[in-house]
This record gives sequence, structure tokens and C-alpha cells, in this order.
Amino acid sequence: MAKASNLTRTELDSSFESNLSVSSRTSNRSLRVAEKERRKNQTGDPFVLALKYFSEVEAGTQCFGNDVLERNLVLVERVGLSRGLPPEAISVMLDYAMSLRMGGVTCVRVLKFLIPATVVPQEAVVQAVAWLCVGKIAISTQVIFLRWVLTVFDMIDSKDHLRAIYGFIFSFVTEENLSPYICHLLYLLTRRESVRPFRVRKLLDLQTKMGRQPFLLHLLSLYKVFCPELVTLALPSRMRSGFKNHNSTWKAALSAVQKRNNGQVSSDISLTLGLKDKTNSRKRKFHHLELPSLSSSVQSNSSSSRSRKVFPLEQLHSFPQLLDNLHCIELPSQMGSLLGSSLALCYLDYVQDDSAFLRLNFWLGHALHEEFLFCSGDGGSGSSSEALHFLNRLLSTQHFLQEGFSSTEGFLYKFLNVWDGSLLRPQILGLLSDIPVVPSSCISQLLFEPLMQLFFTSTLFFKCSVIDCLNNMLLKWLTWHSVYALEDGLDISLNSHTPMNMTLSGFMDSVMELVRFVGRLATVGLQLEGCHSLLLSFILDFYETVCDMFLKYGLPLVVMPPVGVFYPALFATDPVSVDRLGYIMYRYKKNLTSAKCQQQETKQAFHISRQTYKEFNHYLLFMVSCLWNSKMFLPGMAIEVDQELLALSKVPEPRTSFDLIHHPAFLGYALDFHHKCWPERKDMDLNSIKAGKQWDWYLEFLFSQGFHGLQQFIQSSINRRSVAGINGQRGSQPTSR
Amino acid sequence: MEERNSIVKTPLNNVLAQRRSKSYRRSMQSCVEATNLEYTSGHLTALRTPRSRRTPKSRDITKQVDPDQVALLVTKEWQLSYVTPLYHFRHTQLKYYSKQLSAFIVSEKQQGLAIEVGQELGFKVNFSVVLGLAEMDEDAETVFIQILSKQAFAAKDDAQKVVWSGWLTCVNGDLEYLRSLPSEFVSLPLLCTRGPESLTVLIKSWFEKTFDCCFGPLGINSTNLQWLAALWTGCHPTINIQYLKLVWTLPTLPPMDVKYTIHPQDAWELWDSVRQDDITDVSIEEVTRFIKVLQSHFFRHFRIDLSAGSLMQVSTALGSSHHSGKIKIASPTYITTILQLLTECALLKMPI
Repeated sequence: MAKASNLTRTELDSSFESNLSVSSRTSNRSLRVAEKERRKNQTGDPFVLALKYFSEVEAGTQCFGNDVLERNLVLVERVGLSRGLPPEAISVMLDYAMSLRMGGVTCVRVLKFLIPATVVPQEAVVQAVAWLCVGKIAISTQVIFLRWVLTVFDMIDSKDHLRAIYGFIFSFVTEENLSPYICHLLYLLTRRESVRPFRVRKLLDLQTKMGRQPFLLHLLSLYKVFCPELVTLALPSRMRSGFKNHNSTWKAALSAVQKRNNGQVSSDISLTLGLKDKTNSRKRKFHHLELPSLSSSVQSNSSSSRSRKVFPLEQLHSFPQLLDNLHCIELPSQMGSLLGSSLALCYLDYVQDDSAFLRLNFWLGHALHEEFLFCSGDGGSGSSSEALHFLNRLLSTQHFLQEGFSSTEGFLYKFLNVWDGSLLRPQILGLLSDIPVVPSSCISQLLFEPLMQLFFTSTLFFKCSVIDCLNNMLLKWLTWHSVYALEDGLDISLNSHTPMNMTLSGFMDSVMELVRFVGRLATVGLQLEGCHSLLLSFILDFYETVCDMFLKYGLPLVVMPPVGVFYPALFATDPVSVDRLGYIMYRYKKNLTSAKCQQQETKQAFHISRQTYKEFNHYLLFMVSCLWNSKMFLPGMAIEVDQELLALSKVPEPRTSFDLIHHPAFLGYALDFHHKCWPERKDMDLNSIKAGKQWDWYLEFLFSQGFHGLQQFIQSSINRRSVAGINGQRGSQPTSR
Repeated sequence: MEERNSIVKTPLNNVLAQRRSKSYRRSMQSCVEATNLEYTSGHLTALRTPRSRRTPKSRDITKQVDPDQVALLVTKEWQLSYVTPLYHFRHTQLKYYSKQLSAFIVSEKQQGLAIEVGQELGFKVNFSVVLGLAEMDEDAETVFIQILSKQAFAAKDDAQKVVWSGWLTCVNGDLEYLRSLPSEFVSLPLLCTRGPESLTVLIKSWFEKTFDCCFGPLGINSTNLQWLAALWTGCHPTINIQYLKLVWTLPTLPPMDVKYTIHPQDAWELWDSVRQDDITDVSIEEVTRFIKVLQSHFFRHFRIDLSAGSLMQVSTALGSSHHSGKIKIASPTYITTILQLLTECALLKMPI
């Protein structure tokens, strides 16, 4: 049953469409339409006939007791309220109603069921406004019409013709009863070119007559957005919510129709404005941290730019809008306001306007200085959640732009000297990690000295945060480098618009300084904290970045970790650290090998010092002989210990005490393995793991426990010639170069 | 053209002169020198002030500047603020600014009433240029703002009452800083205001909205007060300073204010004795010694060590200045010297 009625409705719709397609603008005469037309002729659709009646009925036809009229009205009304009327039906009915061909009562009744199914043709509305100008319609009916236009405004297919009759619509503004609705409609139609001095004056006259009416003020405030040089206005905060909705009559029917039509037409029923309501709950005397509101600039509007079409950022609400108006967007009067809007930031990133950035930096620097350095506000520097909120917003802005502001940078250098290391720590360190490359000549004074003081006098957790921050900083520097190296070709020294405006060697010096500085921090930090594994983990994070600088970021620089980091990591009691050290050594090897290859190929493209290779080989040799060969402390190695001294320690077999079996980090695994291999054996002999196949199995066992770093290290650095051999024992020698 | 003699300059300016626009790094100088900061009671006082200054030259400013305008500036007490550079400020648009500002003030005072710009209102704003106060080509000309209120029922020819006045100035500003600014910016770093605080707030907010600048309070720290004391004392041979009054606040409980008035001739002789042979320049060492000697003299008599406190106020017949950022210049003769010092203080507050 339902299906059947559905079917008739579709037929009805389609036949209707084709019937009126003569007058319709888009007459796409496809086969389908022709087919429908044929069917229509057969059936003689009642809905179409009804519309035909309304479009043709003579003016002055009696409406009281007119059964034909009543029957047709009911038919269209039912369609309108249930499925919505197609565009052409809207045109017909609106014209019928507004022309008052059968009096005002019918007009109101028609207006009430004019629910659009898809869109409202703009010509219909223009036509209706024309009828409005004739001036025969009762005021209350005019109000209903205007409310209807406001309700369906977003469904009007285009608005350019409506804007063309802006002046006609404006003329109704003096009509007291219509004024609120007219103002609202004008608000929706206003463009910069429609703001004229005489209109401003008219509205101001009205304001004197009617008092501070919200609708007048809202329209005037929009005028101010477009032409601040003509009118000025301070909206009281309670009045910032926007226009009232006038859609009560149609709301239920409209949403029902839209729901039924699968909500394909997304009409914003509530036409409230996006006026940002500022909450001024805080009673602070100074508002350094308050973002200024987006408002258009008074000055730029004067004379020359008036003729040019501009789009104030204030009016920007969506990304497509941004794309459409990219060529004519006007920067706001206060650049600080951009910080609050990601759309505006997109634009800022796109324009690359020096002055704009400078203005933003002035504002930002001022806010930061006043709040955290001069403390000229109410003294409560940063303690408030407001400061937290501000810094978080700044952080997210910088992450959005993927670059730190120079004013933030300048501020941080000053602030580090007075910072206690705990105030807003995550935010401050976050900002610090965003700073661009600092030239090596002043990096120590600006960054290292203040940081070092804080580092050595603070808790373990702070130390970890600092290392993490410096790791992020290095990552960002390297990323910038790799991006610009890609963009400009490798020879970045010749190009002037690199982010750092510094030569490759200058950049390398800075990176070198940073890495060495972290090396020093790490060495002392590990001593101070008793080689705490948490700290060690952050330090190893850092070296994971360092070891891959050549391969990952294309920077011809390899810096080895200092002994104060290497040995604590190697002798760490947790297997994770040793494993990560294995991975780091593996990556170092990869980087150094390919650097050497490239050096040989290109001849003198860059030069990694022999010292670096030497250091690496030392570490490698030691690590292999320690973990693999059980030959620690032999003469000629990095660490030599006198035999007698070793004897004094009374450690049995000191040389083997850090091999993969006896290393404190792996001892547990060795025991586990031993137990699994020989479940019934009561006496524990770990050395038996070293023999024969067991060693291989033990390695497999370790690798299966997730020690992939170790696996990569062993597979890359230990040349196991005789793996498949008869005694597949550790016949291996570390590769040396 | 006056040049500073012994500012410690770091050679970094060229290293990183400009980067891509986004990170627009002016120069590293301010950052580097920021590490030479000294901290007094939680406040940050940047010591980038010069180690030496020219001896104040007596100069008849009225020869360059309209005497009527000079009269507006002197013998009044001004509250000081600093301003970041003004974007798109044009000295040729002052009339337009007058209209805008008066409309703005009225609309802010009458929240929720739209105001047509240019219409006759309860306030009249006058912007004017004080030509001749600027010393160098790089200094922007001083702008004087006066706000007159119209009495609602006043007769037509009644004089309008000045309710607020203020001026933006720059005298001998740091050349390097001024030159580094793009041409769209005008640096008038020092704002002197006089009038009700509520109006000051409104006017500042109009400037912020119109020229995208920021204001902050400008105090005069102890060192600069000492400079002023010494410079004014040095003027005694040409103009009688009548007295040298210094006010210290000592951090006792409750805080103790010490007012220390010195006979002008004594002060001058003392100053003359600490002065070295260099006639053209005054060094910071001389100034410190001058104050030290005054303090030790006080200590000998009252057993109170003034160096433990901080200098809050300095006044002579030539003018007075207060730690909180109030200044009064009584004589136009040495106005340039004072304004130069204040311009320096204001420029030191610039965030970039």
C-alpha cells in the first residue's frame, strides 16, 4: 500500500516537473523527461492541474464558496506539508498569493504551506518583493512573507538578483512593523558595496527614532565590519547573540519535509549569526593575554581600496569560503586576533606577508613580556589558568604553522634566565622545542647556560623533560633542513630564503653544538641520578635521532655519544637500554658505511673525520668483545683494567661477566633459557649455553623476546662465517674498518 | 647627528639579519643582551642603557618648535607608557584620525548606540604634529592629541574644556632599531598622557585597534632616576635648579620613605668633584659615584644606608620624575635630553 502511494507520488512529481519545464530555467530534455511527459498526458495529474489552476486563475475570482479553489488548495497544501513543493510550484504559488488574486486570506494560507522540497527559485522571491512594492498587502501578511523568506533564505538557489534589489528592500526599513525582519534580511544580503553613507544615515535616523533596537544594531555592526570609516559602534556584551529566529510557523513542517527527503538539503534552520560572544568574566585590570577580536581595519578601507572587492576575515566561516576569496581577503585590524582562528592562520601561512608577521610578533611578544617578564599586571604571573590557556593556544598555533614565532623565541631566551623550571613546564619546554636553529656563536649563551643551571638543580623528571625537549628541537631542526635541502637542492648555502638563512656549515655547527651539549648534560645527569633508567631512556631517544642524521635527514654529520652515555647504556641493568644501544650502534654503522660510500663516489663532497670512525670502532669493538666474545678489559681496548686489580675484586671470571649470558640485563633470560633447555637439570651451568647449538638457540630466544635492536646489531656487526659450520660457535670477529 | 659611544654591540646582527618572513627575526641583539639583565625584586630591568651620555646642552627649543606647543608639553605631570611601532600611521591623516577617535570614544561611552563617523559629537579630538622636536631624520615627528569636551548646554562661544591630552614621541631613538623597521611602521615609542584613566584606556584601545600596536606601562627605574638626578644637577650653572630632592624607599617593616633634599650649590659642587675631565660625556661610573657619595654623607649623619633601599623619586626645579613612570619637565631648555632618556627606556621595552 505504502509502496503504491509512493509510486504515484513519484509519478506526480516527475510529471509536474516536465509540465512546467517550458518555463523552467533548466530544461534538460532527456529521454526520461519525455517519457514522463507522455505519461502525464495520459493521466492528467491532479497536482499539476491544481497548479495550472493557480497559475491561470483570473484576478478577482470569488474565493468564498469556491469549491474548485478549495479542492485545489487542499491538494497543494497536502503536498506542501508532506513532501514539500518543487521549485516551480513555489514560483506559481508565491506569485498567486502575493498578487492577491483572491484576497489576503488565501495569501496567508498559501504562505503557510510553502515548504520547499529542494530549493526556492530566487526569481520567485524577487517577484514577490515586487508585489510587496505595489503596497496592497496587509502589513501582517507582509510580515509573514518576510518571515518566510528568512526561514527559507538558505534554500534560495542564488542571491545575486536579490542583492541587486537591495535598495528596494532597504526602503522598507522605515516601516516600523517590518523593520526587524527587513534588517535581518538586509543583514543576510549585505555586501560591502551595499554599505553607503546615505543608508548609514537612514539607519542612524531610525536609531534615534526607535532607540537601541537590537536588529538595527546588528545591521549597523555589519556595516561597521565593511566600512568602519563610516560608522562606529560598541556592541554591549549582552546583545551579541544575533537575530531572533522567525521560523516558528514553518519549523516543524520544514524539518519533517527535510527529514523525509533524507535531509539531502541541509538548510540551516536557525539563522543565528556567528557573532563571537566574548566572555568577559574575568575582572583583570590588564588584558595582555586576551586575544583581540577579529575586526576589519579602519584604515585600509580609505579611498584606494574602496573600489576593490574585499572580503573581511570576520566574515570567513569555512574553508571553501577561504578558497573562493583567497585573492581578496583583508587582514584584520589587529593581527593578534588570528591566533584564535585556524582558518585565518591558513591564510596567514599562505600570504607570507612580512608586515603581517611583524605585527603578530609585536603583539605576541608584548603579551608574553608583560605577562611573564614585566609582571606589570596584577602580579599573578602565569599562575592563572589563563596563562596556561594562552600558552597552549600559542603552542597549537606554532604546531599548526610548523614554525615558532620569533617573538616567542626572544621571549624564551629572556625567560629562561628567570624561570624556576616548574612554572608551566610542559608549555615552556614545548615552546622551547619550537625555536628555530640558533647560530652556534650564541647558542651557548642564549640557550645552554640557562638550561644547564636549571638542569643540574632540578628533579629527575625535569631532567627527562629537558632531554625530551632538546630531542624535539633537534628533530625539528633536522626536518627543516631536510625539507629545505629538498626544496632548494643540496646547496642551501647559496639560497637566501632558507628558514635559517645560514650556510650548511653554519647549520652543522649549530647541530653539533646541540648534540655535544646534550652529551654533556646526559653524562653529568646520569651520574647525578645514578644512571636512572628513565633518564637513560630519554637520552637514548635523543641518540636515536642523532645516529640517523645522515640517512634520514641528509645531514653529513655523525656524532658519537660520549663515553658517559655509552658505557652506562651498555652496562645498564635493564635489557631495554642495552637493546636500544644495539639499535643505535646498528644505525651508526649504517650511516657511517653509506657516508663512506658516498664520500668515495663523489670525492670530497663532505668529510666525516677519522676521529668519528675511530670512536665508533672503539665502541663497536668493546661492545662485541664484551657481549659476544667475553673478552673484557683486555689490553688495547677502550677500557683497560689491571689484572691484579681485577683479581682484588674477587669476581670469578670477570671477563665474562658482561657477555650476553652473564650481563645483569640478560641474566634472567639466560636462566629462563637454561630452564627451558634442560628442565630436569638441577645444577645450573650457564656456561653450557655457550656451547654448540645452544648459543644459536639462545640468541633466537633473545630475539624472540623482542630484542630486535640487539638482533640488528649482532647481524650487522658480527660476521658469523661458520653459522652453518660444524661447530657453529662464536668464531666471529667484529668487523672493523 | 648624535651617536652613542659605548654601547656594547654584539657582532651578531649580521649573522641572522632576516629570515623567512614567518620567523621574522629582527636581530639577535636584544636576545643576547637580555642575558645581561639584572633583577630587582622580581622585576626585570634591562640594562641596555648607554654607559655614557652627552652632557645636557642648554638649547632654546622654542627656536625650532612652536612655543605654544612647547607650552603644552612643559610644566605638567605626564604618565608614561611605551608603545610598539604603529602600523600604517600617517602624519598626513591626522584629521581623519580625529574624526575616527571622537566617534570611537562616543560609541564606547554609549554602548549599543551606533555613531556616524564625522558627525558633531560631545567630544572633539585634535591631532596635531609638534614639528621640530625630533632630533634625527629617523625620529618620527611628535604627535600631540587633545580631547576637548563640549558642555551640553554651554553657550556657543564658550571655551571647550580640555579633558585629556597626550603625546607620542621619539627623540634620538636607537638608530639601528628604527632603521630595521619596515616602512609601514612608525615608531613613536613613548606615550605621555594626562587625564582620566578611563579615557586613557579608551584611547589606547583605539590606537591598538587602528594601528595594531600594544601599550604597556613605563616605569623609570633607579638607574634612570640616578641619571636624571645627575643630569639635572649638571645643569645648575646655566639654570638654577633651586634644590635636588631625592626620595628613597627602604625595605623595612613598615617601609620607610626617606626624603633627602640637597642644596643646589652643594649638589653641583659634589657633582663637579666626581666629574672627570671629559666635558662632553657623562659616564655611568660618575653618576654612581655621585649617588654613592650622597648616600655615604647621609649615612654619616643618620646611620641609615640608603643603598639598601631604592630610589623612588627625583625632583629639581627643572622637573621631577617618579619611579612609577610619572615625569614633569619644568623647563623647555633641557627637554631633549630628558626625552632622549625616556625614549631609550621605552625602546628597551619593545618585545622585538
